[in-house]
Amino acid sequence: MKAVERIAQHYLLKQLPKATAFVAMDGLVVDASDSWLNVFGIHPKNSAEINILHLYPERDGLRKKLSSNKSFSIRHQTGSGTMAKWFESTFAPWFDEKENVVGSIIQTDDISREMAMELELEKVNNILKTKSEVAQVGCWEYDIATEQLFWCEETKKIHMVPPSYHPNVADAIAFYKQGYSRNKISMLFHSAIHEGTPFNKKLTILTQTGEEKWVSVAGRPLSENGKIVKLFGTIQDITEQVTTETRIKQHQQLLTALIDNLPLNVFVKDLDSKKILVNKAECDYLGKSAKEVIGKTDFDHYDKEVAKISREEDLEVIRTLKPMLGKETISIKKDGQITYFLTSKIPLFDLEGKISGLIGIGMDITAMKKKEDQLRNLINITSVQNKKLINFAHIVSHNLRSHSANFSMLLKFLSEEKDEAEKAHIMTMLNQASDSLLETLENLNQVVDINTNVTLSKKPLNLNESIDKVRQNLSAFLEKNKVKIINNIPQDMVVWSVPAYLDSIILNLVTNAVKYRSPERSPIITMDAKKRNKTLIFSVSDNGLGIDLERYGDKIFGMYKTFHNRKDAKGIGLYIIKNQIEAMGGSITVNSEVDKGATFNVYFNEESK
Amino acid sequence: MYISMKKVSSIFIVDDDPITVFGIKKVLKPVAICDDIQIFQNGKEAFDALKERTENNRCIPEVIFLDINMPIMDGWDFLEELMGLDIKERIIINMITSSIDPLDYQKWNEYKDRCPHTLNFKNKPIFKIETSDLDSIDMAS
Repeated sequence: MKAVERIAQHYLLKQLPKATAFVAMDGLVVDASDSWLNVFGIHPKNSAEINILHLYPERDGLRKKLSSNKSFSIRHQTGSGTMAKWFESTFAPWFDEKENVVGSIIQTDDISREMAMELELEKVNNILKTKSEVAQVGCWEYDIATEQLFWCEETKKIHMVPPSYHPNVADAIAFYKQGYSRNKISMLFHSAIHEGTPFNKKLTILTQTGEEKWVSVAGRPLSENGKIVKLFGTIQDITEQVTTETRIKQHQQLLTALIDNLPLNVFVKDLDSKKILVNKAECDYLGKSAKEVIGKTDFDHYDKEVAKISREEDLEVIRTLKPMLGKETISIKKDGQITYFLTSKIPLFDLEGKISGLIGIGMDITAMKKKEDQLRNLINITSVQNKKLINFAHIVSHNLRSHSANFSMLLKFLSEEKDEAEKAHIMTMLNQASDSLLETLENLNQVVDINTNVTLSKKPLNLNESIDKVRQNLSAFLEKNKVKIINNIPQDMVVWSVPAYLDSIILNLVTNAVKYRSPERSPIITMDAKKRNKTLIFSVSDNGLGIDLERYGDKIFGMYKTFHNRKDAKGIGLYIIKNQIEAMGGSITVNSEVDKGATFNVYFNEESK
Repeated sequence: MYISMKKVSSIFIVDDDPITVFGIKKVLKPVAICDDIQIFQNGKEAFDALKERTENNRCIPEVIFLDINMPIMDGWDFLEELMGLDIKERIIINMITSSIDPLDYQKWNEYKDRCPHTLNFKNKPIFKIETSDLDSIDMAS
């Protein structure tokens, strides 16, 4: 009967679709469904004497569990590699009619799919975790209903809190730096919850350990049925990035400040000589903003010729790859303003070492140039003065020496002379020598006076009044020589001069014109005056003997130079007025043709007063 | 003391300073016998006279006293013009100057080499004249 029962039972069990087995306390399989046997690869015909302790791993552990009379489950595997299958067997105590445990009922499920999914999930989680670790991006989640805030591991790491840390909203916000960052995050969090506005902001936090960090924090609301239920977001440590950015910005600012504050014109040009960078000095010089200058060439700012030269320099630098250093250049802007520069052009290479343009540096040396010119002028004046001095020294030494030589000669004669008449003759000569020495000294004194009295002030003088005064003084002399004077000078012509010098100039020029008259013509003197720029030109022309300028041109204004055989020619008048005119910053020239006459032009400098 | 009196056929004095001319004439008296002493105010006058003499085959001056600083034509210009004339005789030219300008001395040195005549350089004051000043050294006897 027992056998019949068993068969019937066996038959029932055998067909169960779910893998099921009954085992005795010692693990011996009492009965099992074909599907269960199939899990372990056992043919139903060989199902006798099977002990599960041989089928499952961890025999000892299993034995213990079986005797514990409790439900449990075991995961186990069959096959390997791609043929591997995962199963889960659930053990439940097997009671008899008297509620005594007689064994276990095992139900086994194929969990290969679940296991694969679980593995996949784990893999994905791992990847995510790695990713978030590498990118230093943490995530967070906030449940509005429960007011629960969740931080992932990376988020905790960023805040430098232990993994066991449980955040809440108030604490989380308190991590943000007081002031802008904390205010901003509160606001963003609030509007995300209430208005569903997503956010993404760079803010500063102070970590648990007090370290200041830059984070990029983003949040996005999740809605269910049109109601915001959750906020989900990320947080990223961007301290390094921000620091680097700040450093780059600082470098850039330093560079810009440096370039802009250099007292040099700095520009960068591309291969077409178009400006791609200019500093403040260059903009100021061009009188344009950087925007107006960039992309333009020199042809847009400078005189055509100047721009051409500049372009040629650029091409030379680009072609030879050799810098042009400290070249003196002239820039003429379109408005005609001339500036002198000390210009350098240095080839500019890109990251691959290929020429990409040039860097230009220009130093404005206009002021220096002007000073140099002034200095050169001064040197010229000085050398002229020096020449004058040497000349004067020679004149002095020569003239004084010739007088003193005469004195000693005559005195020696006198001491040796016996004849009284001859003695008297020598005495007369000594007197003459003394007179001419006095005259020479007077002349020299006059010249010295002119050259030392540079402080004598010029006054505005009516030219005609001065001429009339001289004519009055010379009236007898002029009348005697039947001189005709033609005065073309406008009545109100005013000249700036030292009064005494003007008289001397007029007197000398008039008397010279009469002295060197032609014996064949009665003397005619013509006077003119005109103003040109800052100069008044006073001309005195005569119809006299004239002078061979080719022969004497450079000597005519020299001291003691006379060119006509006249007793009253001393060679001092023209020398003195030339000195007087030059002392007033003017000049004198002469035009003449032999036996036609001479014209003296006096240039009064009206600029220096 | 033996004083040689030199017989000189013709002497030119070219100087615009009458005192110097007087002095030269005075110091010439004890050393030279000359019936033909001519005075000129400047180089041009002397040159014109010299030229006239050569053209008319008249006696050329044996000795010339020549000032350097003169109007119209100075001593150097006179020398330059003189060298342009075809004169076979060697003239003794005494350049007389009060100048102590080394440039004048240098110029004299240059002219001395170029000039076919005897060129002496004498600084004022002139107290006496040696017979050598009236005679070329190579012609001295």
